[in-house]
Amino acid sequence: MANDLTRVKGTSIVKPIIYGNTAKYFGQKRHEDGHTHKWSVYVRPYVNEDIGTWVKKVHFKLHDSYESPTRVVQKPPFEVSETGWGEFELVIKIFFQDTSERPVTLYHVLKLYSNGPDSELNEKPVLSEFYEEIIFQDPSTYMKYVLNDTLSKNPPIAEQNLHYETIKKTTVDKLKKSRKRVQEHTIMYKERLKKLREAINKYKDEICAMQSQCSSSALR
Amino acid sequence: MTEDIRDILDIDRGSGPQVSKEDILGTNKKKVSLPSGNRQNRRPEGMAREVYALLYNDKKDVPPVIETETGPTYKLQKARLGMRRVRPWIWAPFINPAREDGVAFFHWRRVADEGKEYPFAKFNKKIEIPSYTDIEYKEHLESETWSREETDRLFDMCQRFDLRFIVIQGRWNLEEYENAVKRSTEDLKDRYYSVCNTLTKVIRGGNINEAKMFDAEHETRRKQQLERLFSRTPKQIEEEQMLLQELRKIEARKRDRDRKTQDLQKLISAVDKQNDSRKSLKIDKKTPHHRKRIAVPVRPTRVDPNNFEATTIKFPDIKNSGVSTRSQRMKIPANVSQKKVKNVEQALQSLKIKLNPIPTEEVCQNYNDLRNEIVLLNELKAACSSSDFELQTLKHQYETLNPDGALKIEPVLMEEIASLSVNEDENDEETVIKIKQENKEQLETRDVTSTPRSVSKSVLDMI
Repeated sequence: MANDLTRVKGTSIVKPIIYGNTAKYFGQKRHEDGHTHKWSVYVRPYVNEDIGTWVKKVHFKLHDSYESPTRVVQKPPFEVSETGWGEFELVIKIFFQDTSERPVTLYHVLKLYSNGPDSELNEKPVLSEFYEEIIFQDPSTYMKYVLNDTLSKNPPIAEQNLHYETIKKTTVDKLKKSRKRVQEHTIMYKERLKKLREAINKYKDEICAMQSQCSSSALR
Repeated sequence: MTEDIRDILDIDRGSGPQVSKEDILGTNKKKVSLPSGNRQNRRPEGMAREVYALLYNDKKDVPPVIETETGPTYKLQKARLGMRRVRPWIWAPFINPAREDGVAFFHWRRVADEGKEYPFAKFNKKIEIPSYTDIEYKEHLESETWSREETDRLFDMCQRFDLRFIVIQGRWNLEEYENAVKRSTEDLKDRYYSVCNTLTKVIRGGNINEAKMFDAEHETRRKQQLERLFSRTPKQIEEEQMLLQELRKIEARKRDRDRKTQDLQKLISAVDKQNDSRKSLKIDKKTPHHRKRIAVPVRPTRVDPNNFEATTIKFPDIKNSGVSTRSQRMKIPANVSQKKVKNVEQALQSLKIKLNPIPTEEVCQNYNDLRNEIVLLNELKAACSSSDFELQTLKHQYETLNPDGALKIEPVLMEEIASLSVNEDENDEETVIKIKQENKEQLETRDVTSTPRSVSKSVLDMI
């Protein structure tokens, strides 16, 4: 099975995931290195499943000032915990069990301060995470098998992710509403444009008629 | 050379052989054959055969220093040298057959041409002028405007001046002919040709096709026109130029207008198409597989000249095998202009839509469609504002041309269309009500006599 890497045409499997970071203020600046926060960055499955069945490893590329900035996590939980004082952009690379499949790259700005770096520091933990869907178009037979392993059991959405369902629904509703509004406006403008063109043509005809009158009288 | 001098001095040529071209150019010279033995190049030791083969080895002799091609070429600039003896000329008398008195004049002639006819005699063409008898004239050629005497005179003059009607006309009204009626060139020609035609047709029984056509009236008009064209004053010429320029301008404007209306028509049809596809989507929703249908929206084929695809954003539609993220499909491609992106973002902001919504399939589809709809709306708005402006300019123009009259502009066009922006927390119903109220307020508060210019400006501001 592991060797069957022929692609299954026409198949598309979607895997929702969550990625992001949590951070917590020490309460004071650490003396030795000036670090102020403890943070951890992670990639989690959206539903209750063993993400390790289809994710082989995850690379977390930290800021170059960290020792060995590329951290490789070989098995779940795919998470890196560190301390630091600054925010930077993390590059998260997800590798799949089928190694012939190209890894997926995500970018995440590490968030330590709840309202930007100038805001008052407090010890409330900071959370910055995002929903993402990974689409496997025509996966290999092997990859399909691995992906379906958890899918077939239809696992429930992980409890800490349940609020995303509400966001999904409201976003769709809002988009649809906006579309309706834009479409209404489009029709209004279309009608207006039509009328404007009519008026313009009317004026043009009148002006033409007058001009030809003028010029013919002038010639005489 | 000596031969030439002998020729010039009229001394007999020597009995030696005649020089020919070949002798001078030396083309017939016996080829100096060099001893071929030591010219035969041998392949040096250690030189590869292939390398040796690249060397020039065609004939093993030096390339020619003078041109070998002596045949006629396209451009032969050098004079052809005749190698023959010069042909002598003599001072000879000649008789021009065009002369009737047979006077002999002298000219230089080649001895060889002696006895031949004077070469210019062939240009002495005689025109055959038909003649008529008294009976013929009485039977066929009587005319109310032309007397017999006058016709006779015309034919006589035609004979004398070889049908040079301008000359004939010039001499027609000389005082010596007191009874002459004043005739124009056209009159003369008309009479002459009609007489000729009648003679060939009726009396000589000739073919009608041989008849010479002459339309006096047309000729008169043609000459009048030329006369008028020639006698234009500089002012008139200037005016004509001006008018032609005006015409070109008018045509250019017309083309411009046609193009514009075509563009606008495209826009309007794009809106209609959008509405149609929306309707079809609604129907599709009832069917179980509606999602798949949405994923492949009804788009006009690329061949359709009226399509709107050029202006819409083409979002990446990843169909290739492999892994991708949903959010990639919501990215605006890099080839879309910054201005357009900014306009879309502004509209999204006023609609209180976050720039990167949660990437699910449904959100992705709706978000992309929404943005394309915004693009279309923006295009329409731009078209409206430019039309607004155009209308104002035209109105101005009209009013200066015709200060008394006034064309009515539909009051709807004076009104402003509410902006897109919404407040975040409102639900749909509330939004609509609020917008309606806003609209009403705006209408009421607006000065009744406000010029449409200000309205158009505010529309411009909106865009």
